[in-house]
Formats: sequence, C-alpha cells, structure tokens
Amino acid sequence: MTTVVRIDPTLCRGHAICALYFSDGVEIDQWGFGRVVEPTLTTRRAVRKALRAAAACPNGAVVVTEHGEAVPVGADHPTDTAGW
Amino acid sequence: MIDLADLLAASAQVSAAPGGRAPDAVAVGGLGDPGTVLLSGPGTGSGPESLDAHLDRWAGLPVLDGAQVLALLRAGGLDGRGGGGFPLARKVAAALASGGPPVLLVNASESEPASAKDATLCACRPHLVLDGAALVAAALGVDHVVVHLHRGAGAPVDGISRAVAERRGGGHDVVAWTVSLGPDRYVSGEASAIAGYVHDGDARPRFAMAPLAVEGPTGRPTVVVNAETVAQLGVMARIGPRAWAALGTGGSPGPRLLTVAGAVDRPGRVVELVGPGTVGDVLAGTGCTAAPAAVLVGGFAGTWLSGDEAWQAPYERSALACLGAGPGCGLLGVLPHGACALVETARIVGYLAGESAGQCGTCVAGLPRLASAMSSLADGTFRRRGLRRIETLGDELLGSGACAHPDGVVRLVRSTLEVFRDDVVRHLAGEQCRGADHPPVLPVPVPHPAGAGPRPQEHFS
Ligand code: SF4
Ligand code: SF4
Repeated sequence: MTTVVRIDPTLCRGHAICALYFSDGVEIDQWGFGRVVEPTLTTRRAVRKALRAAAACPNGAVVVTEHGEAVPVGADHPTDTAGW
Repeated sequence: MIDLADLLAASAQVSAAPGGRAPDAVAVGGLGDPGTVLLSGPGTGSGPESLDAHLDRWAGLPVLDGAQVLALLRAGGLDGRGGGGFPLARKVAAALASGGPPVLLVNASESEPASAKDATLCACRPHLVLDGAALVAAALGVDHVVVHLHRGAGAPVDGISRAVAERRGGGHDVVAWTVSLGPDRYVSGEASAIAGYVHDGDARPRFAMAPLAVEGPTGRPTVVVNAETVAQLGVMARIGPRAWAALGTGGSPGPRLLTVAGAVDRPGRVVELVGPGTVGDVLAGTGCTAAPAAVLVGGFAGTWLSGDEAWQAPYERSALACLGAGPGCGLLGVLPHGACALVETARIVGYLAGESAGQCGTCVAGLPRLASAMSSLADGTFRRRGLRRIETLGDELLGSGACAHPDGVVRLVRSTLEVFRDDVVRHLAGEQCRGADHPPVLPVPVPHPAGAGPRPQEHFS
C-alpha cells in the first residue's frame, strides 16, 4: 500500500497549522508555508498524523492519496478544533 | 503501408545519413543551408513551406499504426526538445497504460523569450511539425490534436494556421486539428499550464499528485509534446530511426536545433547541429572565432559555463550533464569578454521573478527577494552575509512550487555564483565592475513588477 501526502502550494496560505499535527513530517519555511519532508508515508502513525494535518488545514492544502486515489478527510480524523 | 520491420532493416543498411554524409561530419547551418535536415529546403524569408513543396521534398508520410510509431520512438530514442528531455516513448507508453482516451497537445508556444527554434519550425516548416503530431496521435489512438501557440506570436501562428487549412482542404490527415492561442507569459508555456488553459482557459501551472501523462486537468491522460520533438519524428518516420539517430551522437540521438543569442553575428538566429559537434562548433558557425567569456546553456533557467569549458564541450545531453548543464530549450547565450555575468544574471532573475504565476507562497515571496539580492550583488551594494541569504532562499525555493519555475531560477543563480566566483569576490569588495558600462547582452524582456503589477488572473485569463 502506498500512501502519499503532499501540500498543494497553490492552496497553502502559510498558517503552519499542519505542523502542529504533523511536526515531524512538515517543514515550515520563513514565511510559514508548509512543505512535506518525505511524501511517502510508511507507518500507520504517520498516516494518522498526515490525515489529522489534512483535516486541520484551513485551506484544504494537505492532500493524502492512497494508490493514487484521494483519501477523504474529516470526521474520522478528529483534531482539537474539530469539535467546535 | 510501410512495414516497420522493412523500415528498420532499410535504415540499418544506411550507414551514413541522407546525402551520403560521413558518419562523423559536423554541419552547423540555418534555414536552407547545406547539411541541415529539419531546416533544409527554402531559405529565410520564404514563408511557410506549402504542403505540395513539403511533400515534394520529403515524400508522403509513411502510414504507421500505433504500435509501429511506439517502436519507432523507442528505436530512435527520441528525447523531448522542450526543456525536460523526457523520452517521448515513455510519455506515450505512460498515457496508454493509464486508461481512458488520452489528450494530445503540441506545445509550440516557446515561452523562453530568447529562443526561436519552435517559432522557426512553425513559421517555415509547419508540415514537418504536423506530420510528427499526426504520428503521435496514431500512437495514442486519438483523432484530435491541439497545437498551442502564443497569441501574439505572428509568423508561427500564420504558418501553423495555413498548414492546418491546407491539410483540412485536401483531406490529408485522419486527425482533426485545433489551433489554440494562449497568453504570452513565461510560465504559461509549462506543460500543465497549457493543458489547463486548453481545458478551462486558466494558463497557470497546476498542482497535481499524478504526472500529466497519467492524469491531466481533464481527468484524462494528457501528452504535451514540444513542436521540435514532433518535427524530429516527422523526419525519423521517413529516414528510419537508425539513420535519424546517426545524425546526432550516442549521447544525444538525432539532429538538434539551437538558438544563439548575445555576442554572435546574428543574435536570435536558429541553427541546426548535425553530427557530433561541440558548443564551440556551433558558436564558430555563428560568428565566434574564439571562446567567449561565458555561455549560458539551456535557456534563462539554464546554466552558465565558462567560455573555455563550453567551447570544448560536446553538445549532447550526457556530456553537458557532466558539467551540470543540459540542452534545455536549446539556447546558447554568448557573453563577450568585458561584459559582466552578474549584471546579465540580475536582469534575467529580475525578469523571471516577475513571471511567477502568483499562486505559490514561497515562489511569490522568495523570487523577488532573490532578484533583489542578485541586483545588489551586481551593483556592488551587497554585503558578504547576503551570500548566505541567497543560499537559504535557494534551499527554500527548490521544489517549493506547483511548477519548476523557482527551481530553474535557483539553478541559474547557483551556477552564476559558482562559475563567476572571482567576479562575486570583486563585487563584494566594492571594486569597480568591469562590465558596468557594457550594453545589455542577452534579450531579456522588461520585467513585470512582482506584486505591483496586475493580478495574475488578468494576465492569465
Ligand atoms: S495548515 Fe495548510 S495552509 Fe497552513 S501551512 Fe499547512 S498546508 Fe499551508
Ligand atoms: S511555483 Fe511559482 S510560477 Fe510555478 S505555479 Fe507556483 S507561483 Fe506559479
């Protein structure tokens, strides 16, 4: 199974919220824009974190795919803000 | 119908290429000059070659089925001539393996401001371009081809439009042609930007998880192929893959088109290199008698090589790769002795920074800073710690965008700092720049002011 995470740079607006949920997988540059360190996710833990980051990004810029198909994010990946 | 096996066998027996040339002979020439292949025929000023004249010179295009075209592409080893150098056979195979009817787009927009090779082919040899495009259509099993050009290009648009009208009139092809005219901006020539523009009219590059050949903006596999690449295929289908490959070198099969700019006798001239020539051979054929100060190889987003190094370098992909360069869009920009590469580079980076499509944060924020750092390095107002800043900006820009635009600018900047280290030191020390009063060398357009200009949407809609 290949799960891949990337940040769509055309949607990212530099909130750096993704890094709160996936701190070891996302680098934030000097302007706050996120970049994925290693797109291929090899552990379930990393997949879970990536999906949380995807759910938390206000711009929907974090994209996770499994076998090339987009993984829907939302209710299954609760974040601190999801219960508001 | 020509059998591919026959074609391969026949071409294997032709040890030298057409015209009985010796295998190692090197020819450099422009439109209509002896020894050229793609540019052979009428000279400059004769306009687009008519279909009849084209067929007189080249005979009819062999009728090949999809598998035969793919075999031809593999046997010849045709590499993309738009900049990336990706083998066309692999693109086609990826699209075929991805399922769904593919979309075929010919990129004749040539967004590189100093380059004119695709424009020359479209303006003067349009049927060679369309022949090759028809063959790629056969390989993909599609019956519709879109040829994309810049709206204001003039002669190339006329050439292609006339050629398409001639072919439609005579029922020459089984494919239907559409001519697409898009905005004249640097990144709007990027493959995903063209595919996107043809789909929905927005000519900015697209972010995608999958390569275009697997899934384009329409959801269908999308093959975007450069105009010179298909013109090469039009030649290869007639003379056979081996004879075609023998017109180049082992590392770069087939003849190569280049544009020369800067300190040459006719800047902006397009020449064809046939045989195993060096960069020096090309420059000697365009009015240079000795190695210049430096050569910008591969386009504005290319690599500087010192004049001596470039002069000796075989003009082929593998040899240039050893020097950290590549053929790119085929541009050779010649810097004369006495001009300053830092000044030239600062102008190019300033232009490229203004060409960001304004979509990706790091590109929007980082390129103008890189441009201003390069311009203060050029005018001598730069401090030493600025070098570390350029380094950091480069690291952040590399791979940051939806397209490779920032990567190209970083490549240019890094090669500049490496090749012209002595000049950098002199500029840092505040010494009088030797080239400060030299007139501009390379044809860099006036930059669009980054951030201050019209919204990207206005340029790109
Ligand atoms: S949370 Fe979303 S918008 Fe913010 S930096 Fe991460 S990817 Fe970009
Ligand atoms: S990287 Fe720059 S040029 Fe490329 S799409 Fe993003 S903003 Fe546009």
